[in-house]
Amino acid sequence: MTVAPSRVEAAFPDALHGVSQDGIPYILLRPDQLVETVRRCRDELGYTRWVDVTAVDEPNVEPRFELQYLIHSLTEHRWLRLKTQTDDAVPSIVGVFPGANWYEREVFDLFGVVFDGHPNLTRLMMPDEWEGHPLRRDYVDANVEPVDFTVTREALGTGGGNELRG
Amino acid sequence: MAIEAPRIKNTLHINMGPQHPSTHGVLRVELELDGELVVSCKPIIGYLHTGIEKTFESLTYVQGVTLTDRMDYLNPMGNNLAYCLSIEKLFECEVPERATVGRVLLAELTRINSHLVFVGTSGFDLGASSVFLYCLREREKLLDLFEWLTGQRMMTSHIRPGGLASDFEPDWLKATGEYLDSLPKCIDEYESLLTNNPLFKDRMIGVGVLKADDALAYGVTGPVLRASGVALDIRKTNPYIGYETYDFDAVVGQGGDCYARYKVRVAELREAVKIAQQALKRMPGGSVRTSNRKVMPPPREELGTSMESLIHHFKLFTEGIKPPAGEAYVPVESPRGELGFYIVSDGSGKPVRVHERAPTFANVQALPLMAEGGLIADLIAVIASVDPVMGEVDR
Amino acid sequence: MTMELPVVASRGGHVRDASPGFLLGKLADWSREKSLWPATFGLACCAIEMMAASAATYDIARFGSEVFRASPRQADLMIVSGRVSQKMAPVLREIYDQMAEPKWVIAMGDCASCGGVFNNYAIIQGVDKLVPVDVYIPGCPPRPEALIDGILKLKSEIGKGLR
Repeated sequence: MTVAPSRVEAAFPDALHGVSQDGIPYILLRPDQLVETVRRCRDELGYTRWVDVTAVDEPNVEPRFELQYLIHSLTEHRWLRLKTQTDDAVPSIVGVFPGANWYEREVFDLFGVVFDGHPNLTRLMMPDEWEGHPLRRDYVDANVEPVDFTVTREALGTGGGNELRG
Repeated sequence: MAIEAPRIKNTLHINMGPQHPSTHGVLRVELELDGELVVSCKPIIGYLHTGIEKTFESLTYVQGVTLTDRMDYLNPMGNNLAYCLSIEKLFECEVPERATVGRVLLAELTRINSHLVFVGTSGFDLGASSVFLYCLREREKLLDLFEWLTGQRMMTSHIRPGGLASDFEPDWLKATGEYLDSLPKCIDEYESLLTNNPLFKDRMIGVGVLKADDALAYGVTGPVLRASGVALDIRKTNPYIGYETYDFDAVVGQGGDCYARYKVRVAELREAVKIAQQALKRMPGGSVRTSNRKVMPPPREELGTSMESLIHHFKLFTEGIKPPAGEAYVPVESPRGELGFYIVSDGSGKPVRVHERAPTFANVQALPLMAEGGLIADLIAVIASVDPVMGEVDR
Repeated sequence: MTMELPVVASRGGHVRDASPGFLLGKLADWSREKSLWPATFGLACCAIEMMAASAATYDIARFGSEVFRASPRQADLMIVSGRVSQKMAPVLREIYDQMAEPKWVIAMGDCASCGGVFNNYAIIQGVDKLVPVDVYIPGCPPRPEALIDGILKLKSEIGKGLR
């Protein structure tokens, strides 16, 4: 994976460019530029294969979520990363890449980022009634079980054993 | 083969799974049926969601290798490999030649393991239960080899950042060579049971067709994509760990139906044997661990004599390895498609974010395209041919 | 650290004398032990080892588990092989409830026994929070031989009328 062809830089001159440590070039976009940029990458620049979208949560930074979109060009055999940052919502790109459907639902489920225009933005991994977005860095995980050492038992006053048989 | 739905619809809304013998794990499919015809098919996932990506953030990088085994549990060393490649990219660290060749060998053995299960279960789902027994018999010999080398049959965690956990014994290499030599005859045996079997062909040819454009738009990769005619094999297009120096074919099928997917995987099984044999032949000497003391601990013999080694060892086991800040995604070709770990590091001993780009997540999303318009029995064949592993779909 | 054995209610009236009821009870115990059919409840990686245990090399069919029944109504034994997520928990309970008495549960693997490697929001920390477990089999995943050992222990207890 080599450095971005100058075509990508020429096509989007006002976006911030860079190359990640893995050699994949990235463009940093505003959320409102997202759909049009992805469409142009697919139609004009040949990035026809959908790969991935995920999010990274940094609660101490404004805006806290950075979304990472990954698409791939079959002719040039290279990946392109599109980044955008938001606190709450971005437009959905399901109209451009139908494969983004479940990926956006997963980010919504686990991070709470809303994708405007998504046909079915419901939880994917967690049960529908689940409250909270587990992959956020400040999510309080109430299900973590303290490891059953003798010291933990004394401290918490718990007993071990089978809950249904006692 | 799509049948036109009649105009008067009186459909039955029925649920298949998550507990079902043919769904290859906990996949739930909501079906709308018109008799036997699948009018609409909606896969629902999340029944094996394990929160692995969250758990990564509370473990060190090397501890995280054990979690990667459990995602695509039929390709454990392939997952280890993808994870370690991303970490090594952040470190820009040198991996010795013996470890690189060893990784190719182990990755291909794992591919053989996964495709044997595929051939077995796809026969089993369609009613051919003997193939299942034969394939698992071969697989047991392979698992014995894994256990000899690593101590574990499945969740080996043998590929670590910087190399391998331990070296190969000459006896093990010899036994692996003998196993690989015996395998092509066994594959011929499975093919004789399935490939030209008229019942198998009737159930698989023309069933579950996926067009190449749809596949690309949905992010489908691996044998499913290659069976639709797209020649994308990451080992060929963006080679890693030296795949460009091995002689093998990236198998591309025609037609995009279940039979094409089956044929692509069987051909890949044979190619994997070829690559593994080449790796065995060229296994160089040397160490399987990098000499970069920030990534792998020093050999134990040095700890008695060198203060520096002792300090490295101490820091690596208390604080963990600390990749420089940045992000890395190095995709590999798993038996199911493009697999990669997107790792974000902030320079500390625990990752900020680890995300697995699981190939089956996209492949299962494309299930309606393949199953709608067919019969329920065809749905079983389609699910079997997609070869889903719910551990990586749900993570 | 010793754990007290759970107190198990005996199933279906074991009469402790030499009456015909007693003999019929022994016959029932014997037949339940010798023909223990598991339900297909493979969830994750342990399911692959369960498949290996049912395949030719390890073969639980020789111990009476000839077939894995897909319908819970026809199964005696639920081998929970794999991690139980939040979404799967009600499904597991429903399948358990649908099984006909007498029924037994084996928690196969670390995830089913205690949550395993995954101490987090997504995994139920031990399937015994949902269903009563008869045998816990540790391992990640347990070898097919370990699964067979667990099944044999359960069978011997069933045969003696203890479960």
